[in-house]
Amino acid sequence: MAQSSFKAPSFTVSVRGLARYALVAVFVVVFAIFSAIAPAFLSGANLLSVLVNNFALLAIVAIAMTFAVAAGGIDLSVGTAIDFASFAFVSLVLAGQPIPLAILGGLVGASLVGLFNAILISGVGISPFLATLGTLFVGRSAQQLLTNGGNPVYLPPSSVPEAFRFLGHGGIAGIPVPFVVAFGVIAGAYLILSHTRFGRVVLATGIQASVVRYSGIALSRYTAATYVLVSAIAAVAGLIVTSTVTVYIPSSGNAFLLNAIGATFIGTTLDPHGRPNIPGTVLGVLLLSIVANGLLLSGLNFYWQQVATGLLIFSVLAIGFANRKAASRA
Amino acid sequence: MATSVKWYETDDIISLSAIVKRFGGAQALCGASLSVKRGTVHGLVGQNGAGKSTLIKLLAGLHEADEGEIEIDGIAYTGLSPQKVEHLGIHFIHQDRLLVPTFTVGEALFLGREPRIAGTPFLDRKLMRQKSADILDRYFGLRLPNSALIDELTAAEKQIVQITRALLDNPKVLVFDEPTATLVRREAELLFKLIRRLRDEGITILYISHYLSEIVDLCDTVTVLRNGRDVATLPVRETSAKEIGALMVNRDIAELYPKPKIAQGSPFLELEGLGLANRYADVSLTLHRGEVLGLTGLVGSGAKELLRTLFGLETATSGAVVVEGDTVFPASPAAAAAKRLALVPEDRRRDGVALDLSVTENTTLASLDHFSRAGLLDRGAERRKASELIERLQIKTDSVGALVRTLSGGNQQKVAIAKWLSRRSEIYLLDEPSVGVDIAAKVEIYTLIGELAQRGAGIIVLSSDIDELLGITDRVLVFFRGRIIREFISTKTRPDQVLAELTGANETLRHVG
Repeated sequence: MAQSSFKAPSFTVSVRGLARYALVAVFVVVFAIFSAIAPAFLSGANLLSVLVNNFALLAIVAIAMTFAVAAGGIDLSVGTAIDFASFAFVSLVLAGQPIPLAILGGLVGASLVGLFNAILISGVGISPFLATLGTLFVGRSAQQLLTNGGNPVYLPPSSVPEAFRFLGHGGIAGIPVPFVVAFGVIAGAYLILSHTRFGRVVLATGIQASVVRYSGIALSRYTAATYVLVSAIAAVAGLIVTSTVTVYIPSSGNAFLLNAIGATFIGTTLDPHGRPNIPGTVLGVLLLSIVANGLLLSGLNFYWQQVATGLLIFSVLAIGFANRKAASRA
Repeated sequence: MATSVKWYETDDIISLSAIVKRFGGAQALCGASLSVKRGTVHGLVGQNGAGKSTLIKLLAGLHEADEGEIEIDGIAYTGLSPQKVEHLGIHFIHQDRLLVPTFTVGEALFLGREPRIAGTPFLDRKLMRQKSADILDRYFGLRLPNSALIDELTAAEKQIVQITRALLDNPKVLVFDEPTATLVRREAELLFKLIRRLRDEGITILYISHYLSEIVDLCDTVTVLRNGRDVATLPVRETSAKEIGALMVNRDIAELYPKPKIAQGSPFLELEGLGLANRYADVSLTLHRGEVLGLTGLVGSGAKELLRTLFGLETATSGAVVVEGDTVFPASPAAAAAKRLALVPEDRRRDGVALDLSVTENTTLASLDHFSRAGLLDRGAERRKASELIERLQIKTDSVGALVRTLSGGNQQKVAIAKWLSRRSEIYLLDEPSVGVDIAAKVEIYTLIGELAQRGAGIIVLSSDIDELLGITDRVLVFFRGRIIREFISTKTRPDQVLAELTGANETLRHVG
């Protein structure tokens, strides 16, 4: 085509390259600012606490969300999956079951949430947004019914086994367990999304579902599997948070929802084609985590955190948009 | 008065002369000229890259020419803007031109020029309703409710809204850019009727199309562009679709439909009394290895639904599908693909290729099993396969990693076929394989079809282009009202014979007689 020869490759490549690294640049700038204005920010203890307390949990949830977004959907019920994992886990520990069985119970509990979503989305054909929104509401009510109107379920210190503490507070070779688990989830998710047949089909579904079906791929099975996987990953965060605080608080998992969505979309700017991707999501989570921590340390009002997070999402997505516009002009 | 009529007849309402346009280093137009006589339907054809769209964008005021002159109604203009062009009475009907989907028909028609009740800032809704209803009824015999949402309209109805919007301005020239690309044939025929009527009412039409048969049916004059130049302007009466096609590619007519001689192999795909309720009934046919079988029929004749059934997109209500002696039930595309069936769908950009996946990712999408072990993908192997197929099908792309969106229609179609070659499918169902494909790529696709047949594949081509069908197939089956009514041997058949069966002309005669 005549138009396609209208190209200045070096220019578009550089604009694209620039926009791709904008996320990294924003991260470096934010990091530098906090180091300058809040001396405590740069201390090893603080950075470690950011990684363990803020980053690890949100990273796991955001990675779960990344799969839903990659498949062209969204999962508003990741919090519900976290809660169900947490509830099943705590209940089994209280009943005196061994920890491995309790962990398995937590994963199964959360996967039921995913299965419910899968049936609504793949079976009934409801849009992911509405299906998971429904699950969010149903899940909230179910938890209130299960806990006499939303009472927390505490684990008395006497009934907390050693293995349980290890999950929340232990370390492997000096590295805190939550961080090790998060790292494992990140590595596994990267492998799945970028290097497996499943991951490719998920990405292709998100980009143009009809072509996936016309390519002789059992689309609905893959979509169903995706939503079960999302819940199962989110469950891992539920297990860790419960081990850390030794309590199940109904509907507390929803606290991660908006940040997980934010981090996923911030992360899409790292990909040249704007696709959801694991490294991007991780960087997005890291950015949101240090912003929360840095603002806290600089003594800013807590409520400004949300404003800052919003501004960050705007700016990174604006760059990402400029990025794709430049790419589409190529 | 006769002299003044004479003067009008020879008057060019649009005259672009010796236009040169460069984009960066690439020369899109190098001295192209186009003169459109007042009151005629003027066709503009050319392959992708010939400069058609650039020329039209210059006329629309979207680009500025580097050299050359644009005259409208005998007056030379420079620095045209889209508003100015519209003001001069030239309106563009484009398939991709956006209408706000959530507006009502009435709102869309008058967007930006809403009539007001004299002396007030209030919209004159009554006048809007009357004017639009009047035009819709007069030209289209259509009662589109003013309150219908654009989103709810079919592609044809959206186009009617666009045309109506232009007619409200009493245009002098209407430019149709690939207007039938999104229409089914019955709708296209209505459009042609309308265009002739508009011409008779004195509106000049510039008509751009890939379909040469449309040009021949519709236009008075045709200009052929090739490599940024106008290579011929001919009265349509004195030429033919084949001659125009040959001018576009600068080739002999015989080379347009390469068809190798292939010895027919064993029966490959057999349909035994296949039926789908309310769509088609009692379809029996045998496709042999090495055979290219053509299907044709009007919209609703059942031919398209038959292809969809074979690929598992519809479920047959009676009969059997047999592949090399095995009775199969293609209940889903996955099941059909497992039986070596491959569908290259008509709506390429929706179903055939994923525009925002790369050439490699599209190429391997239907055959990921070949490139993965224990679920893990071997991306190197994928790229090697894609490179091999790019080479073999001569797919023009910057790289194996380029998005398919950046490819031309013909090259996108080759990717849609490559996807199945990668899977080593053997029964190819091609639904309108050359729609929206430029002539050079068409010839390459025809050649590929011949090669596949030579290697022992079985191929079914569904097409409404009868020249094409007779040129590349061994046999042609004509569908009419859900049944196969006639079989032709391609080499012994003239297009008009097929056409007569297709439209049911013979059928009607039989009933009447």
